[in-house]
Amino acid sequence: MTLPASPIFRIEALEQRYAGRRVLHVPSLEIAPGAIVGLMGPNGSGKSTLLRLLGFIEAPSRGRILFKGSPAGPFDARIRSRVTLLPQDPYLMNRSVFDNVAYGLKLRGQRSDAAGRVHRALAAVGLAPARFARRPWYALSGGEAQRVALAARLALEPEVLLMDEPTASVDAESAERIRQAALAARDHWGTTLIVASHDWSWLFEVCDIVWHLYAGTVFPTGTRTFLPGPWIPGPDHRWHRPLADGQHLVVPAGTDPSAPAYIESHRLRLTRQPVTGQGRVVLKGTVLRLALIRRTGQVVVTAAVGELALTAVLEPEVLRKEGMAPGDAISVAYPPEAVAWIDAT
Amino acid sequence: MDYILEGILQAVALLASGNAETLSAVAATLKVSSVSMAASLVIGLPLGFWLGYHRFPGKRAVRTVVDTLLSLPTVLVGLIVYALISQRGPLGEMGLLFTLPGIALGQAILAIPVVVALTATAVESMDRQLSVTLRSLGADRRQLLLSTLWETRFGILAAAVTAYGRVMTEVGISMMVGGNIKWHTRTMTTAIALETNKGMFAMGVALGLVLLAIAFAVNISVSFLRRRAR
Repeated sequence: MTLPASPIFRIEALEQRYAGRRVLHVPSLEIAPGAIVGLMGPNGSGKSTLLRLLGFIEAPSRGRILFKGSPAGPFDARIRSRVTLLPQDPYLMNRSVFDNVAYGLKLRGQRSDAAGRVHRALAAVGLAPARFARRPWYALSGGEAQRVALAARLALEPEVLLMDEPTASVDAESAERIRQAALAARDHWGTTLIVASHDWSWLFEVCDIVWHLYAGTVFPTGTRTFLPGPWIPGPDHRWHRPLADGQHLVVPAGTDPSAPAYIESHRLRLTRQPVTGQGRVVLKGTVLRLALIRRTGQVVVTAAVGELALTAVLEPEVLRKEGMAPGDAISVAYPPEAVAWIDAT
Repeated sequence: MDYILEGILQAVALLASGNAETLSAVAATLKVSSVSMAASLVIGLPLGFWLGYHRFPGKRAVRTVVDTLLSLPTVLVGLIVYALISQRGPLGEMGLLFTLPGIALGQAILAIPVVVALTATAVESMDRQLSVTLRSLGADRRQLLLSTLWETRFGILAAAVTAYGRVMTEVGISMMVGGNIKWHTRTMTTAIALETNKGMFAMGVALGLVLLAIAFAVNISVSFLRRRAR
């Protein structure tokens, strides 16, 4: 008999405010040990804040995070060097590559096999220790620096590795090395991986779960498409958002003209066929990209509509029938009454 | 003009022959400045880190006060320390008046704002990612402080050198608190002031040369350290 694994993270009524403004609100959320969780969402949606909270780098304004069942916070001995964050612009200290990677081991007073761990960590990110260990921090390319920063986390053999857009500013080879090293950590030590990224292939091919952050709220991905404001009242008593190409996004009147609205993705119809109105809002767009959700076989379609990128999840058979490919002109249609508002409370 | 040239020549002769009175003043200065610098670094570095690292209400006001204390007049420090350690003062029983530790106390008060202000500036100008990185690699509060200071070592070195320059060259505190006692509390700067008053330039010039040489040596070693650390 196997007991269900208790969550490694449990978020309770978490709220983070900066200068009085709420940037993140997560009523409750659990993460299973060994999971690979992807976080996606536009800049400023709260991804980095959530990662800093889960990494216990900062304390929340309200609520708490339970680590393995009991509340934890910044500087707790229980989480130090077990939970580690790779920030978006990692900082390398003014010392050699070896000393940068060994730093965390030195902090926790681990002498035994420190050199071996450093060398293995460097090898794991594809940097030959013999060539790189003695290099000073300033003699590295951007991608190499990012990999050294990751190696410094891997040397700790962490239980949780949080990564904030680890591949955003690196070349393809570095991105692949980073991906493989992170997955190897999960395979070897059962490390829980939480990754914020704009890289769709990363997220959908690698992750068990992908969450979408929008305006500080976490949504399960694939179920909702976001329609960002600002909105202006239209002649039809609905709210409009004029797009750069002259089309209008139309939603039922709400309460806050700056709030984002959303629509359940299955109510959004993406098709290459001409669509007539019949009470629906019809917009012209272009297919930008397709990404496979490996776990379910569904496909995430991103379409450019005006200056927006709308996403919808399609079943594989629908996609096959439509024969959609990036660059195709398509119609995006939805019944405006299906649009709802993100609860800002 | 001849007497100036003569003074310089005599100064070189004084230094070359190892004149005891000259060396006594040099030794007093080195002793007292070492003690005051050690004290101001021990107190000023953590305070400077704290001030530069944390954000709190009233921080700007605290910074303004510290920056004002940068231009603390040495005679005012001398006056305050004199009042504190004179027989009638609250610290009178410690018998610090006209002693080297008394001078060191005053000089530490002079140097602490310099160390605090420059350390705070150095820590403030650090990449915010440094703190995130150190903490994500498992640093506790003490390790965070030490590692941040180590990362900002060039800024802190500059703070120490600036404070050292201020301590070495001040006259007011040494004169008022130390009393310029020959063989005892006579420092290089008070000796120069006295000898100049007496119209005796040689020893003044000699000590001035020593002060310059020390300043030069300190700066050379700082730039050497800086180059080596790259």
